[in-house]
Amino acid sequence: MIEQIVKRDGRRAPFEIEKIANAIFGAAQASGGQDYEMARGLADQVEKLLEKTAGDQIPTVEQIQDTVEKVLIESGHARTAKKYILYRNERTRVREMNTRLMKVYEDLTFQSSLENDVKRENANIDGDTAMGTMLKYGSEGAKQFYEMFILDPEHARAHREGDIHIHDLDFLTLTTTCCQIDLLKLFSGGFSTGHGFLREPNDIRSYAALACIAIQSNQNDQHGGQSVPNFDYSMAPGVRKTFRKLFRDNLAKALEVFGADDNNEVDAKTLTERIERETGKWACLAGGNGYDEAMAAALGETLDEQTVQKCLRFARKYADKETRKATYQAMEALVHNLNTMHSRAGAQIPFSSLNYGTDTSPEGRLAIEQLLLATEAGLGNGETPIFPIHIFKVKEGVNYNEGDPNYDLFKLACRVSAKRMFPNFSFLDAPFNKQYYKPGHPETECAYMGCRTRVIGNRYDPTREIVSGRGNLSFTSINLPRIAIRSHGDIDWFFEDLDRKIDLVIDQLLARFRIQSAKKVRNYPFLMGEGVWIDSDKLGPDDTVGEVLKHGTLTMGFIGLAETLKALIGKHHGESDEAQNLGLEIVSHMRERMDQAGEKYGLNFSLIATPAEGLSGRFVKIDRQRFGVIEGVTDRDYYTNSFHVPVYYPIGAFEKIAREAPYHEMTNGGHISYIELDGDPTQNLEAFEAVVRAMKEAGIGYGAINHPIDRDPVCGYTGIIGETCPRCGRREGEGVPLSKLQKLGLYKHLNSTTLGYHGDPAEEADRQPNTLQIVKD
Amino acid sequence: MQQDQLIGEGVGFERIRRITGYLVGTLDRFNNAKRAEEHDRVKHDVSCCSLEEEHTA
Repeated sequence: MIEQIVKRDGRRAPFEIEKIANAIFGAAQASGGQDYEMARGLADQVEKLLEKTAGDQIPTVEQIQDTVEKVLIESGHARTAKKYILYRNERTRVREMNTRLMKVYEDLTFQSSLENDVKRENANIDGDTAMGTMLKYGSEGAKQFYEMFILDPEHARAHREGDIHIHDLDFLTLTTTCCQIDLLKLFSGGFSTGHGFLREPNDIRSYAALACIAIQSNQNDQHGGQSVPNFDYSMAPGVRKTFRKLFRDNLAKALEVFGADDNNEVDAKTLTERIERETGKWACLAGGNGYDEAMAAALGETLDEQTVQKCLRFARKYADKETRKATYQAMEALVHNLNTMHSRAGAQIPFSSLNYGTDTSPEGRLAIEQLLLATEAGLGNGETPIFPIHIFKVKEGVNYNEGDPNYDLFKLACRVSAKRMFPNFSFLDAPFNKQYYKPGHPETECAYMGCRTRVIGNRYDPTREIVSGRGNLSFTSINLPRIAIRSHGDIDWFFEDLDRKIDLVIDQLLARFRIQSAKKVRNYPFLMGEGVWIDSDKLGPDDTVGEVLKHGTLTMGFIGLAETLKALIGKHHGESDEAQNLGLEIVSHMRERMDQAGEKYGLNFSLIATPAEGLSGRFVKIDRQRFGVIEGVTDRDYYTNSFHVPVYYPIGAFEKIAREAPYHEMTNGGHISYIELDGDPTQNLEAFEAVVRAMKEAGIGYGAINHPIDRDPVCGYTGIIGETCPRCGRREGEGVPLSKLQKLGLYKHLNSTTLGYHGDPAEEADRQPNTLQIVKD
Repeated sequence: MQQDQLIGEGVGFERIRRITGYLVGTLDRFNNAKRAEEHDRVKHDVSCCSLEEEHTA
């Protein structure tokens, strides 16, 4: 007679024969059985066998389960035995996952990010802070919950084993990736952040401040980044309103000084209202719209001609000067805010991207110019701003060639990028971008999320091929190198297996879309509640969002084209034309499959050159364990980003551009190419611009130039630092004598908290004035 | 005021790099794979004349 058992945790518990009978009956039911008495009889057999095998020992749970299996099989209940084993395996997996999750939590809790790679999965999240760690607890717990209970087991297995990677899995049941925010629509009539209402802004400073707040609010409703597709057009009305107000204020001052008018403020206001009513115009930055003349005539009713001209000259001069200053301050504050404001419980700052460059109005141009200058100047201590990502839209006839109205701003963008790595450059003349471009409709100018995501085409609603209010819903990447390794050079098998993986990804994206579609407007108080997402303003708080989400993209990505080609034919596309041709064949096949899926489901399936950060090391780690070290394939700690030529491969800039450009056209869900420049590009702006122009001519959609930006916080030097700082001569971690810093003119405040952290007088002296030619209408 | 006081002991250099499209304030925050990738990056030559030499190499 057995009286006790040993549980898994070592504690003892009473032996209950009913538990065994119930487990057997459960397994029998799963295979169609109904007979409880038989289950009870089998349980009695289990007990008898246990008494024999265990002897004096108290049996363990594992021993009991082994015995159940044995009895079931020997008594001819094969199907019930199979179900029982499956159930037992599943329970084991769940138990192991629980243990694993607790281990992850333990490491998150007791290891610093220096020791713990999970805490550094995304470089823009500080995993060492309280909120950063809390976010990781949530994220790791959510991933395991979904893997166990939500995901289709086949999708979960493919993700777990590294055939595919479901990005942002921790947000599987919660939200979508990103959105391109139309600020003008949002500002019109004011908006609510979900925590308070804001009036429509009336000054460039409020426009810029509210832009930050909109980005911050939206960041909390989605798991990706926020992009403003037309920042220049969005800020222009703010500049216009500011100039109008400053013109009136300065006219009032002039009336008092030159016209001896004691009732000047009221008079200026009354006159302004009258002229605006009569002409239908406002005082504007460029002048020449008839307002000044009408105002002169009205002033002439009480003042002599000379005084009138003096007043108007004064008003225009100071309105102009103060508008520039206000715009600079607004843009400076915007850059500062976007680098300091918290989101997602303080673990991050918002991931923000600003697209601009094509607004040729004097107000839009001023906003672009001042934003670039504020970025060039840097943060409080001259540091390079990490956010926002700037994307300068290059367009022939607008800013690309000498004589184009915004050519000066393109030159300025190159200069700032050579110093600060932003702006990046997008190319509206690339054929796949140009096809959407309609002059006079900024919403048809292709925009990019900073990371590279691109959303413009619209299969669901071809009449709405626009950027605003749309974004990516989710994306999943394929482990291309693994398929290549497993193909053993058999190209036909490679494509067959690739197709199987693509089928799986399409299926998984649709499953996730169904979950997303069931969400309601009230789940996204800002994104949907404030009408940021396209057509969400037509929905009520309890409406589901599935229909409007169809404007978004379902996207497949890929990593490691270079390693794939190495595994298939021994060379990558940077070093062989044959490999390049095969590479193009692979990527265009993936694109065709996305187009077919789009056709079949009426949804926006697209192909992205995956922006792999967390993923870059994950696949290769698993593949090296499975297949060993394969030269050129698994011998590094990362797979090469998407279609890029490997970073380690020596290749000229122009050749790299030519090799990567054709892939931009195929990856309609997003792409970027990088060129790494040596030395300090601010000393060679011609070469910098030549690279940008080569990208444009090659048909690249979105590109950026990387160069090292180092900074010594002690003396404030910004540039390239090798072993020692070129300015103060210290090595990393070394101290510099105070007297030396003072001799260099670098040390202002002897105070332990401001120690060394101050502006950079040498850099400040180098700043170049940049006067803007106002284009007359 | 002590003139021989040392300023900045233990303070590292900041090295800003780009990953995935975003800039990152310092290499310390990179995950292991991205550190390895950043370490391997080579520069791309922009002078037209040396381009051909690069290719044959």
